[in-house]
Amino acid sequence: MIFITYNTVSAFLCFLAALIFLVKDKDPAWRLLILFLLASCAAEVLGVYMRRVMHTNLAVYNIYLLVECGFTSYFYYHLYNNYKHKLRWLLIWLGAFSVMYITELMLNHFSDFASVSATVMSVVFVLASLLYYFLKLQDDRFEPLLTSAPFWWVSGALFFYFGSTACNLFFDFLKEHDYSGYSRSVRYSVFILLNIILYTCWLFSFICRYRQRKLST
Amino acid sequence: MLVIFIHMQVSSTEIIYLIGLCSIIFLIAPVFLIIYVLLYNRRKRKHAEEKVAMQINYENELLRTQMEVQEQTFKTIAYNLHDNIGQLLSLITITLSSVNVNDSYKTAEKISIIEDLTKRSMKEVKALSRLLHGEELLGKGLTAAIEAELDFLQRSDRYKINFTKHADIVFDDSSKAIIVFRLFQEIINNIIQHARATEIFITLEQVAGMYKIIMRDNGVGFDVDQTMTTKTGMGLLNITKRAAMIKGTAYISSVPEHGTVIILNIPITD
Repeated sequence: MIFITYNTVSAFLCFLAALIFLVKDKDPAWRLLILFLLASCAAEVLGVYMRRVMHTNLAVYNIYLLVECGFTSYFYYHLYNNYKHKLRWLLIWLGAFSVMYITELMLNHFSDFASVSATVMSVVFVLASLLYYFLKLQDDRFEPLLTSAPFWWVSGALFFYFGSTACNLFFDFLKEHDYSGYSRSVRYSVFILLNIILYTCWLFSFICRYRQRKLST
Repeated sequence: MLVIFIHMQVSSTEIIYLIGLCSIIFLIAPVFLIIYVLLYNRRKRKHAEEKVAMQINYENELLRTQMEVQEQTFKTIAYNLHDNIGQLLSLITITLSSVNVNDSYKTAEKISIIEDLTKRSMKEVKALSRLLHGEELLGKGLTAAIEAELDFLQRSDRYKINFTKHADIVFDDSSKAIIVFRLFQEIINNIIQHARATEIFITLEQVAGMYKIIMRDNGVGFDVDQTMTTKTGMGLLNITKRAAMIKGTAYISSVPEHGTVIILNIPITD
């Protein structure tokens, strides 16, 4: 029962929704979301386990950061595909992130969370979300955004990455001072809220995607 | 001067809660952004709907114009069949029935008259055929269609036509040609019905990306402002409206007893 937390439950429910609504999706990028959410669930569960058993779960989240950055960057690139964005930019960003991530881990001697990389990644994803909105506003073609799956996926990501900026920026401070009782930590509470918003937006996005697929067939 | 220094010590717990509060505030910004994007998108939908409505309106107007062009042609044909060809054929019938084969001198004279009447009938039929063909000519160019229409008008000998062509009017968009042709027909119709003119001047020009069609008559003229407010003015308003539909203008100027000038300015491309 130790594995039942707000984060694990919300991640698992979102994974289940993805499995139901996206498993027959024609677009491989959307189907890949199922695997990504499975990885998220595994990271959350493993994170709880490591915290209880080994008293630190930094390694889990450091590895998960790579998966998160790789998939989310690819998905943003996929969403920009309609606007003919070049693969070169995705590769440059992923290359730059890898260099930054490895350097940070080496400087930390692999014993701390790559918080600078996480912060930079959050800022880049916030900018990517804003760029998506900008492209949508610029586009002459009308698209019903209220029922648009990509729009709600981006909105969920924007809430999560923009909302986590403060916690990421003060990660070192929070690590030192916000440690009395993990479940009562402010950082933990903020991430519970962010996860719930993120997964709710994504859940709605999956429903929109499913509805769109059903209507087109 | 008294300077008071207030030393405030902020505890780490307060900073932590401040960070938490900042995170909550950071969540408000995306909410407003999303609302803005959705509202803007709603306006975009409205704009798209208006555009579709305008397109449908344009297509309806175009269809109506096409029908009017056809109707005008059929009216002219019907009028001509009844008044010209019908009369000629009646005369031929009467002349034929009055032929007395025993009176060879008069018979020869009557046959000559019949021959002349038949030739005139054939001429009329050919002119009608050209008129019908004029509508088809629209596909090849507006100038040819206008020329065909003027040819037919000149045959009546009621008007002296002065046609000057400085430019060939050719539109990429055939719907534009139909609307301009209908404008031309409508103006000619107005001259025939109301102007009591004896001379019509038509000039085709091309000036700075625009085609200019100047149509002038020496008829009785009218008070433009006054006519615009009456039922007769509907036709003039229609001319202005249709010209605006293809992003052109129609300038109408008239002085009682001094004729009327209508200048159509139509952009060559959209």
